[in-house]
Parts: sequence; C-alpha cells; structure tokens
Amino acid sequence: MAVLRPFDKLPALNSAVLLLVSSDEGLQQKLAEAILREKKNFKINIHLATSLPLPSERDHLRPRIDMIVFMIDIKSKYSLKNVEASLAYVDASFFLGKVCFLVTGVGRVNCCSIEMNAIWKLGEIYSSPVLFCELEMEGIRVATAQRLLRMLQICAGHIPGVSALSFGSLMRSSAND
Amino acid sequence: MESLQRDLAAAAAEPEPEPEPNILMLLRLRDQMKQQLMECSTAVRASQEICHGHILEENFTMNNGQDLQRNVEEAKVSFQNKTLALQRIQLMVALRNKMKENDDDSRMITETMKRIVQLSMAVIEYQQQAREKEQKLLDIKRKRFSLKKAGEQKLLQIHTMMKKQKEEQASMKVTKMMEKIHNDFEREKQMTTIIQNVFQNIIIASRVNWAEDPSLREIVLQLEKNVNFI
Repeated sequence: MAVLRPFDKLPALNSAVLLLVSSDEGLQQKLAEAILREKKNFKINIHLATSLPLPSERDHLRPRIDMIVFMIDIKSKYSLKNVEASLAYVDASFFLGKVCFLVTGVGRVNCCSIEMNAIWKLGEIYSSPVLFCELEMEGIRVATAQRLLRMLQICAGHIPGVSALSFGSLMRSSAND
Repeated sequence: MESLQRDLAAAAAEPEPEPEPNILMLLRLRDQMKQQLMECSTAVRASQEICHGHILEENFTMNNGQDLQRNVEEAKVSFQNKTLALQRIQLMVALRNKMKENDDDSRMITETMKRIVQLSMAVIEYQQQAREKEQKLLDIKRKRFSLKKAGEQKLLQIHTMMKKQKEEQASMKVTKMMEKIHNDFEREKQMTTIIQNVFQNIIIASRVNWAEDPSLREIVLQLEKNVNFI
C-alpha cells in the first residue's frame, strides 16, 4: 500500500518510530544522530527517506510509524517541491498532529530562496506545527533533537493525558490569527 | 523517483541495558498502553461514525473551537505571567543568597547598587531643576502675556481719550461760538431794550398824544414789546 496510515499496525511495547523525509541526506544523518544521542528511556527507531512513497517490498517489516518530520531546506526550492510531492502519499488522519515540518538553514537568511508565506501556508493547510532550526550549529541541533524527541513521545502515546491532537492548537502562534 | 530507506542500528537506539522490569516501569508501560489504546479506539470510532447533518455539527464545532481557542490563549497568557513572576521570585532569592555570602561578587553588587542609587538621585535632582526652570519660564511667559494685554488696553485707552479730546475740542468750538452768539444776542437785546426805553421816554417827554396818530401809536406799541420774550 503506497499511502502511509497511522493506525494500520499495532504499536510495539515502549518504543517509538520516527520517519525523517528530507532531500539532504547529510543533514538528515546529523539530526538522526543527535536524536539518538539524547537520553531517553524508550526504544527509538529512526527511518530515513528522501521522499515518499516508501518502497512497498519492505512494508511488512516496517513497524507502525508514529511521527513524520518533513525537512525543508530554506536554500533549496527543490526540497519544498519534494516535500509537497511526498505529502500526497500520507493519509489524512496522519495530519492530526503526527506530522511536523522542520525548516532548516534559517541561520543564513540572505540566501533564502523559499517564500516564508509558502511555508506558513503549508503549515496552515495541513494544520501541522512548523519548526525552524539551523542544524549546522551544535547547540541548536541538540535543542531541535530534544524537541522532536518530546513530540515523538507524545505522538507515540507514551505521555498519558497528552495527545498528538493538541499540537494543532497549542503550536498556533498568535501572530497568525 | 527511487527512495532510499535505511534503518539505523537499533542497537544504538537502545538505552542502557534494561534492568528487570520494576513496578515503576510496569506502571509506566501500563499508562503508555492505556494512552495508545485510547488513541486507537478514538481513531476507530471516528472512522465508523456516519456524518449526517454535518453542517450543524460544523457550526457547533466551529463555535466550540473558537471558545476552546480563547481558553487556550488565556491559559497561555496566564502561564506566561506566572512564569515571569516565578522567575522574578527566583532572581530575588538568588540575589539574597548571594548577598549573604558577602564575597567579591556581592561587594560588586552592592557597589553597583549604590552607584545606581547615586545616579538615580542625581537624575531626580536634575529633573527637579529642569521643572523649576520650566516653571520660571512659564511665569515669565505669563507675565509677558499680561503685559502685552495691559499694553493693548492702554493703547485703547489712549485712542479713546484722543478721540474724546478731539470731540471735546470740536464741541468746545461750537460752544464757544454759541456763547459768543448768546452774548452778542444778549447785548443786542439789552441795547434794543435801552433804545426802546429811550424812545419811549422821548415820546412821553415830548407830551405828544401818540394815541391819535396811527403810525406813532404803532411805533409806541412796538416799543412796548419786551424783546426777552420773543
């Protein structure tokens, strides 16, 4: 099946699965390593992909995916197009908080080739949180990894009382109202 | 386009070798499973529901949504305020503890505070002086204004007085002339009276019978007319 669905498989005990979709594999690798280095008390599996759909021959081996992070590089229009094309292969019920857009490379605003408006609209249309980070800097990478880890915990249902559904309203910034 | 999928080593992802599951961990796992079960059952229920009359539902959910959004905003704001207050309290406690230690840092802090106090007192003093000068300036402006007004009034008075004087002069001329005329008139009257009396006496002294001659009678009667009653 080409489309990713959130609840089509049973969850594994005390573990969470994160899917990173990005056209830049170096940054992807760095972010994944930073997330793995964080202290956590559950098992985490990070899947890396450059675009969706994922190859279907390994479908039965893949565990249930708890959260998808789409990485957009502010310097390349191609990454935005890639992400927009991949969004078609994600089921609508995934967008209830289990999807996050991560915009990287914001440290260099002078070579920005994507409109900010486009990114805000993307976040609005898919009602998903948009995070900004600069993965070249160690401190910000660690902070982003911690944030993503926390979000992953909530998406996987490890935190009782907090559901991924609340991301839509909690992360809405008042500037956009 | 071909997409790559790589699974990172699961070994790197595992935490320190799991100890035998103690009660705490079991309870945590139980909470996790409860939460996951709730999420899954919600998803199942959502997919099973038939949506009829969904327009009404839409309005309902929109209104609720707005209320909830407002509540969330209020909660956010109050949370931020509370965080600020908490940070302020923490800062004060840290400062107090630091001062108790009484080492170099605290001495520097006291010196800085003293300097701040000095500067603020100087600022207050200068502000006061500035205000006094402003007051004086205002007073002077007010006085100038009142003087200008007084000057205007005086000018007006002068103007009216000069006009009055001119009128008086003009009227005085007239009165003088009137007086002269009056005096002349009086003189003439007196002279006429005297002449009348003289003629009367001449005619009476001449023992002429003036009643017989009509023209003489006319003249005598005319002389009888008192010029003061004309």
